[in-house]
Amino acid sequence: MLRFILQRALYALPLILVIIVVMFTLLHLIPGDPVQALVGDYPVPPAYRQAIEEKYRLNDPFFVQVWNYVTAVLQGDFGYSYQNQRPVLGLILERAPRTILLASVGFAIAIPLGMTIGVITGTTRSATTDKVWTTSALVAYAIPAFWLGQLLVMFFALRLGWFPTQGIGPLVSRAHGFDWLLERARYLALPALAFAIHEGMRFARIMRASVIDTLSQGYIITARSKGLTRSQIISRHVLRNSSLPLVTIAGYAFGSALSGAVLLETVFTWPGLGLLMVDSIRLRDNLTVVGVVIFSAFAVILMNLLVDIFYALLDPRIRTGG
Amino acid sequence: MKSVLRQTSAILNLRTTSALFACAVCVNASGSIADEGKPVSGGTVIAALNSTTIPTLNTQLTSSVPALFAADVWADGLMTYDKEGKRLPRLATRWETSPDGKTYTFTLRDGVKWSDGKPFTADDVAFTLKNFGKFNTYLTKLMPLVDDVSAPNATTFVLKLKQPLTATLDLFDKEVFPLMPKHIYEGQDVATHPANLAPVGLGPFKFKSWASGQSITFVRNEHYWEKPKPYLDSVVFALIPNPQQRMNALVGGEINWFRPEVSQVKATQEAAKKGNFKVVQIVNNAPETAVVDLNLTREPLKSIKVRQALFHAIDRERIVQDVYQGLAATAKNAIPTQFKDLHDTSVNYDSLYAYDPVKAGKILDEAGYPLKDGKRFTIELTVISVPPYDAVARIVQSQWSQIGIDVKLSALDQQIWTNKVYTQRDFDASVISLTGRTNPVLGVDRSFVCNTGNVPYANPTGYCNPEFDRVALEASAAPLAEQKAHYKTYAEIIARDLNQLALTSSKVFEAVSTDMKGLDAQFNFSFNTHPNWAEAWLPADKQ
Repeated sequence: MLRFILQRALYALPLILVIIVVMFTLLHLIPGDPVQALVGDYPVPPAYRQAIEEKYRLNDPFFVQVWNYVTAVLQGDFGYSYQNQRPVLGLILERAPRTILLASVGFAIAIPLGMTIGVITGTTRSATTDKVWTTSALVAYAIPAFWLGQLLVMFFALRLGWFPTQGIGPLVSRAHGFDWLLERARYLALPALAFAIHEGMRFARIMRASVIDTLSQGYIITARSKGLTRSQIISRHVLRNSSLPLVTIAGYAFGSALSGAVLLETVFTWPGLGLLMVDSIRLRDNLTVVGVVIFSAFAVILMNLLVDIFYALLDPRIRTGG
Repeated sequence: MKSVLRQTSAILNLRTTSALFACAVCVNASGSIADEGKPVSGGTVIAALNSTTIPTLNTQLTSSVPALFAADVWADGLMTYDKEGKRLPRLATRWETSPDGKTYTFTLRDGVKWSDGKPFTADDVAFTLKNFGKFNTYLTKLMPLVDDVSAPNATTFVLKLKQPLTATLDLFDKEVFPLMPKHIYEGQDVATHPANLAPVGLGPFKFKSWASGQSITFVRNEHYWEKPKPYLDSVVFALIPNPQQRMNALVGGEINWFRPEVSQVKATQEAAKKGNFKVVQIVNNAPETAVVDLNLTREPLKSIKVRQALFHAIDRERIVQDVYQGLAATAKNAIPTQFKDLHDTSVNYDSLYAYDPVKAGKILDEAGYPLKDGKRFTIELTVISVPPYDAVARIVQSQWSQIGIDVKLSALDQQIWTNKVYTQRDFDASVISLTGRTNPVLGVDRSFVCNTGNVPYANPTGYCNPEFDRVALEASAAPLAEQKAHYKTYAEIIARDLNQLALTSSKVFEAVSTDMKGLDAQFNFSFNTHPNWAEAWLPADKQ
């Protein structure tokens, strides 16, 4: 297993290098002026432009910039964000846990939700139940997460006043201990729910198809003929075997969610990697953009690795190579 | 004679200022504050800023809106403006202009301390001008004229110019020229100094902390000179980039203040009917003029006739109603109406270029661009793809199309648009809204004065008229009493040459929680200075 992990890590290295070069090239090609972004919509005084360009070496030739960056990254230095006036790595390490928290809680709701709906619709003998659930899931999945987020804000925050409209936590708080946790949970509730509904409905559709496929397998007929009850069959045989495609999809989805659910973070002013990315692109804070992309690439590679490991645990055939 | 006039006007200005200052206080004492009760100390106010990333808080180095809003909390300057647009003393108690208009002497408030407790002296003012002046976008016209800057004693600051610039005093208001502490910045790289994100200032509150991407907290400055202010314990800025979320946060009671975007003012007013906040109009706001810049280096826009026809073809009243929901006025001429002492009403675009598509068509026929297969010519109209610019551009596009012009709309990201219009000059027509600040020198001249370089946000049209440049220079140096005549000529030349079509001048509103008191004093400002947070207070039961 260790060899397998090391092999994957070695594959990742050239990929990261390619990502750095491609990102630098693309950002270099897009018109933009970070010094103008600092000053706003008034002319930049020449002395200020010179001071900033010299300080952050913005005028170095393109290849020098790429080379300096690659050698720095190999030493663990992801550059300096001139729009945030701090090292990019620190910035990412500060924002990433917020995005991971949102994605994790979202997935923690989405996976059981999707599996439950998938199993219900896949195993039901009632055509009406199947249609109602399947159509509802399709409609909920079709609603863009950011719009769903707005609807949740309008209803649960503005009309009912149960949750705050935006933010990651109260700006002024005297809460401690459990109260503090509860206060934070209120801020997390709506974005996580919007995230969970959208992803959960996608999982439900995959789970349903997978359950129907599993039910037609020979071992299910064997199980029936052995006199196992319906619930025993579902819990012992169907659930486990039908989960494999879901694990694949959820793994990829979680990996990409770690790069920041850009629209959802914007709708809920959730200052994670997504909002950081939007700001950095707008302000042409290129090293931060590249840093976030590298982090996302790592996240996706890592999740793929975890999916493979999880697969092996779920399906002995993969584990034994049979 | 001129010098006597200048001196008299300076004295008059001071007198008016003192009288108005006294009057503002008396209104507050006898008016709303009497109803609201006596100010009490304590409490925290949360205000929203429109970005999660703010590269610098130092407004000597930026004109970005979030930094300007925050600066009113921590920074202060020599003077400011009340809601009538009259100057109010801040850290300068008085100022005098020499008879030749070249020497400005400021007398500073004594015994004032920086937020870190160090004394504030005239050395700090001189240091700020010497070290930040070259980095300050508003001072680009002043700095080449500076002959000498000195601080003969702790409370006197003297500025000597090589030649007069009548707008000089306007360049020293607290927004354009916030004062910076010499003891923090001296001998260091001021442009990238860490204090630009953790400032030490003279404002009512001092910087405490910055929660990345979330908020910036300022707490009461114990050394603030205007005792017993400030009343609040702290002001927290919530960083909320999305305009709808800012409004939601106010409706939900999570914040106490924000400035609505033009397009959401009506919705904010509607939501305010519930009574937990109100929408206040800034009576004398900084000019915010939506314009169309025309590229005079290209056919057919080289022709004055074509430009005049294009202006006649725009129904500016429809832009006022459809885009600004009636919360704007049509622009009257190149000098915004907010500059009451400089704007001449005899030059009026409403009558000179009244909406008349038939006339526009005739002018284009005469100019050699008749309709051929329903089309006269093609132009590209470029714009930043955010409200309200995109909506303005769509209306202009549809109206120009009606007279047979094929308008290709390019709605772009701001950085790409800036590059296209100002750096590459690769455009035919371009929509933008420009801020004018307190004087034509600050923000109006830049649209018309010849700009052969490729500096963004300065005249991209290729319009280079030595006659106009001379008039602009003379207007900026003329004594106060004579300026209006010069600016009339200024407006007449632009009304004739039309390198830029001025569409609308929008109004500015702020939304504030009804929990907050002292609003008359808090909103007693004009131009770009923002709520005076030193005046705000919360009743004990709302803290």
